[in-house]
Amino acid sequence: MRPGRPEPHTLAGAYALDALAGTDRARFERHLTRCEQCALEIRGLCEATARLAAAAACEPPPGLTERALAAAARTRQLPPAAPRDSAPWPARPAAITGSAGPGYRAAGPRWRGWVPRLALAAAAAATAVAVFLGVAAGTAAHRAGEQQLYAHAIAAVLTAPDATMLSGRVTTGGAATIVMSRRDRALVFAAAGLRPLPSSECYELWLMGPGGDRPAGMLPDPGQGMTGPVIASGLTAGDRLALTIEPAGGAPHPGATMILVIAL
Amino acid sequence: MRTGSSRISPKGGTWTGHAPGTGLEALLGQAARGEADAFEAVCRQIAAPVFGTVRAVVRDRSQSEEVAQEVLIEVWRAASRFDARRGSAMAWVTMIAHRRAVDRVRSEHRSAERELRAASHAVPYDDVTETVLASLDAERVRRCLGSLTDLQRQAVTLAYYRGYTYRQVAALLEVAAGTVSTRMRDGLIRLRDCLEVER
Repeated sequence: MRPGRPEPHTLAGAYALDALAGTDRARFERHLTRCEQCALEIRGLCEATARLAAAAACEPPPGLTERALAAAARTRQLPPAAPRDSAPWPARPAAITGSAGPGYRAAGPRWRGWVPRLALAAAAAATAVAVFLGVAAGTAAHRAGEQQLYAHAIAAVLTAPDATMLSGRVTTGGAATIVMSRRDRALVFAAAGLRPLPSSECYELWLMGPGGDRPAGMLPDPGQGMTGPVIASGLTAGDRLALTIEPAGGAPHPGATMILVIAL
Repeated sequence: MRTGSSRISPKGGTWTGHAPGTGLEALLGQAARGEADAFEAVCRQIAAPVFGTVRAVVRDRSQSEEVAQEVLIEVWRAASRFDARRGSAMAWVTMIAHRRAVDRVRSEHRSAERELRAASHAVPYDDVTETVLASLDAERVRRCLGSLTDLQRQAVTLAYYRGYTYRQVAALLEVAAGTVSTRMRDGLIRLRDCLEVER
């Protein structure tokens, strides 16, 4: 034990009071995964802090519940935690650090893989957002109303608290980037450097998963550099995003050759 | 397996205990299955303690409202993660509320520790704490807090109602951090025993 650093166990009270910050909190949470005794103790202490909370109860502002209900109707719920998750209070929220804002960490093991990706992608995503929005503003300017709606839908995905960026190489040339939100069950796709196609062909996006293969939209003609953004919605768990080249006008089912596959 | 009300001591009559089946635990289970009516009932039970806890820490009313709403939505979002074997529903909810409130405050005051060192040495057994503890519902909690030593009580209330870290509390009270962490634990254990909440 280094001097000046309290024995981890004595921090149980401070933890139950949320009086640990930063590395103190992280260190104690690591200790907690190995210390069943601490976890038990904290459960008891949290019943005491719950009473402190109840003692602080005061009349909530009018409309609070109504607004929460309205927001809940738009908010996808987390699936149950996997049984192997034995961490105390798995749904205990922790703030996402960095530019992702004051949202919660996506709790639970199924989401674990998303968290580092989100962290890594955070800075890049900010750039991507700017690029996407710039493109959105530049295309289809003659259809202002429609374009505005489309831009809104795209912005909603890009700014979702769980927005995650993924990218992949297109085998026929070019690179694709997506920003997806599981909460909104949607993703925004954009590509750079796609090979121009003859007028008899087009690029088509697909969502492929346990729920079957669904067309997810056709890409506009690859112009100068960027293609997209295109929004695809209706994501389900286990989906992959695929890109194919199809006859102009699109196809009901994806052709045999996937020129891009990204696991979502 | 406990029932929905056995956790709460009969003496803790101010606690909003509910019969099994209509209790918060059961309602959360229904909310986790997407039942909006159940979530509305959850909100009716938790809105006051959630808002009160958040406001004690955050202070600013409009920000508190914002945070409280985020908490309610998080309860909806994460309802499936509530596990009654790990504690009561109210403990789970208020933990989310308090954590989110302190995260809001700390993200705005990263240099709070420095500020605190420079701040007045007077211990603000502040207005919010006073108001809170003066309320009739809080009578039992107040009496139990009164059974703590001064240092235990200050450590617990400064952390919980002001959102200070134990290091900030130590700076404020001019006591070693290790002493504060020990007092927080001892104080909560004593509070728990006094309130006779189930371990």
